[in-house]
Amino acid sequence: MIEIDGLSKNFGAERAVADVSLRLETGTITAVVGTSGSGKSTLMRMINRLIEPDAGTVRIDGVDTREIPLTELRRSIGYVIQDHGLFPHWSVARNIGAVPALLGWPREEIAARVEELMRLLRLDPERLGPRYPHELSGGQAQRVGVARALAARPRMMLMDEPFGALDPVIRQEARAELVAIQRALGATILIVTHDMAEAMALGDQIAVMDGGRLAQAGTPAEIVLRPATPLVRALIGESERGFRHLALLPVAAALTPGAAEGEALPAGATLADALSRMIWTGARRLPVAAADGHGAGVVALEDILAAGRGAP
Amino acid sequence: MKGTLALALLVAAFLAFPEAFVPVLRPFAPEGGPVIYDRASLAGLTAAHVGLVALALLPSALIALGLAIWVTRPGRAHLLPLARAVVNFGQTLPPVAVLALCVPVFGFGAVPTLVALFLYGLLPIFESSLAGLSGVPAPTLTAATAMGLTPARRLLQVELPLAAPLILEGTRLSAVIALSTATIGSTVAARTLGEVIIAGLNVMNLAFVLQGGLLTAALALLIHAGFGALAEAARPPGARSSR
Repeated sequence: MIEIDGLSKNFGAERAVADVSLRLETGTITAVVGTSGSGKSTLMRMINRLIEPDAGTVRIDGVDTREIPLTELRRSIGYVIQDHGLFPHWSVARNIGAVPALLGWPREEIAARVEELMRLLRLDPERLGPRYPHELSGGQAQRVGVARALAARPRMMLMDEPFGALDPVIRQEARAELVAIQRALGATILIVTHDMAEAMALGDQIAVMDGGRLAQAGTPAEIVLRPATPLVRALIGESERGFRHLALLPVAAALTPGAAEGEALPAGATLADALSRMIWTGARRLPVAAADGHGAGVVALEDILAAGRGAP
Repeated sequence: MKGTLALALLVAAFLAFPEAFVPVLRPFAPEGGPVIYDRASLAGLTAAHVGLVALALLPSALIALGLAIWVTRPGRAHLLPLARAVVNFGQTLPPVAVLALCVPVFGFGAVPTLVALFLYGLLPIFESSLAGLSGVPAPTLTAATAMGLTPARRLLQVELPLAAPLILEGTRLSAVIALSTATIGSTVAARTLGEVIIAGLNVMNLAFVLQGGLLTAALALLIHAGFGALAEAARPPGARSSR
């Protein structure tokens, strides 16, 4: 668990981060959202002490980060940035194995770990391992950046706009991939983004920063249903708020017994998927396929709308 | 590459068997006068010349690179004007003036030339090292720091390798300049190929002037090619093919 307690930082007369407290539960993803200049990157950089806070503490599993030697702290935290920051003069494999090498792992162990991670991130070790960063596509370079951050099995990962340089289609894939990896490894992740949709798609917890202060922190549903400030409301997008909420709810949330005409929705679909299908087909009731162990059923338009409002 | 090799062979052949080149140089020598410089061996002078340049350039490169590293450390940017002033000073003094100023202090011999070449070599190496070190991409540096590289490792494993091609380019420029400038050292009794040129001028022997001048020019070309190959080898693997 990461506890951020009363963290503040000024750059000269400018207040970057003011008295922010936040808890990151182990094995969850926290998305920090804000406009540029909101202090979200500064907040992140104070966790691995790339920036030293003026006041406040960060504790990792109860240990104050100031009591951990700087290089040791940083080697234990994976770090991913927008422009990947790969070493251009090192091969992909050497880039990924950088932190294990710093930690003095035996050579064979590093090689095995690099291969394992490349397979996990769908990078062909034989073909791409000996290549150099400039020979990679944007999506591949970004995955190498993630693999490098994961290499030494860090307790937590910091990701600063990790998908910012990717095109929308690849970004979608990269997000899904990140969630899958995070679930598989159980890592604690803090991700900084200016994109509320990205935060909603990734975050177990969303923290909205505004002018250096924490405007609101909560689950995606809490943020959508009860935005605390006008800025939070604006970041969600008033016209998309209802749909955003539906995108967070699985069809199971509005499932009723029965049967309906038409192609069945997969059990993993969201209510937003269901509503979208209804808009295009004109149907008011849709069948839902049976997930293993759960009975099939139908979702009805009025139940979707009620669920979207947060009504029971 | 082939041209460089041919030139190197030609220089080697001339230094080993200068007499073999008498027929070529004869037309430039005065009637009945010596064709090949005979007061010292050309090979010995060449070695002394190159040695003098190397001896001056080594501290020049170390100090210029050291200064460039020093001012590119975090929080030291304000020291850049000071460092620039130091190396610019070395460049603005004409080498001849340095020689004249140094002779009263150090006497005749190699030292005044060493000082002049040392000062003259600083600026190109400093400026290109500075460009190389400042050119390391910011995300790469951030990533290096964030993954827990110590400042020393970051410098040795990331910054210097990435800046190496430019550092070598600067050293190449200084070396070529120093090689030709070294000839004037012979006016204050340093042992260089300038001795051959000056002797040729004194006795109106164009063959001597050509020997000294062409040898110096050939050495400069060889050093130019040598450092060029080094800089190319230091280029990150991917960037090499693009040139």
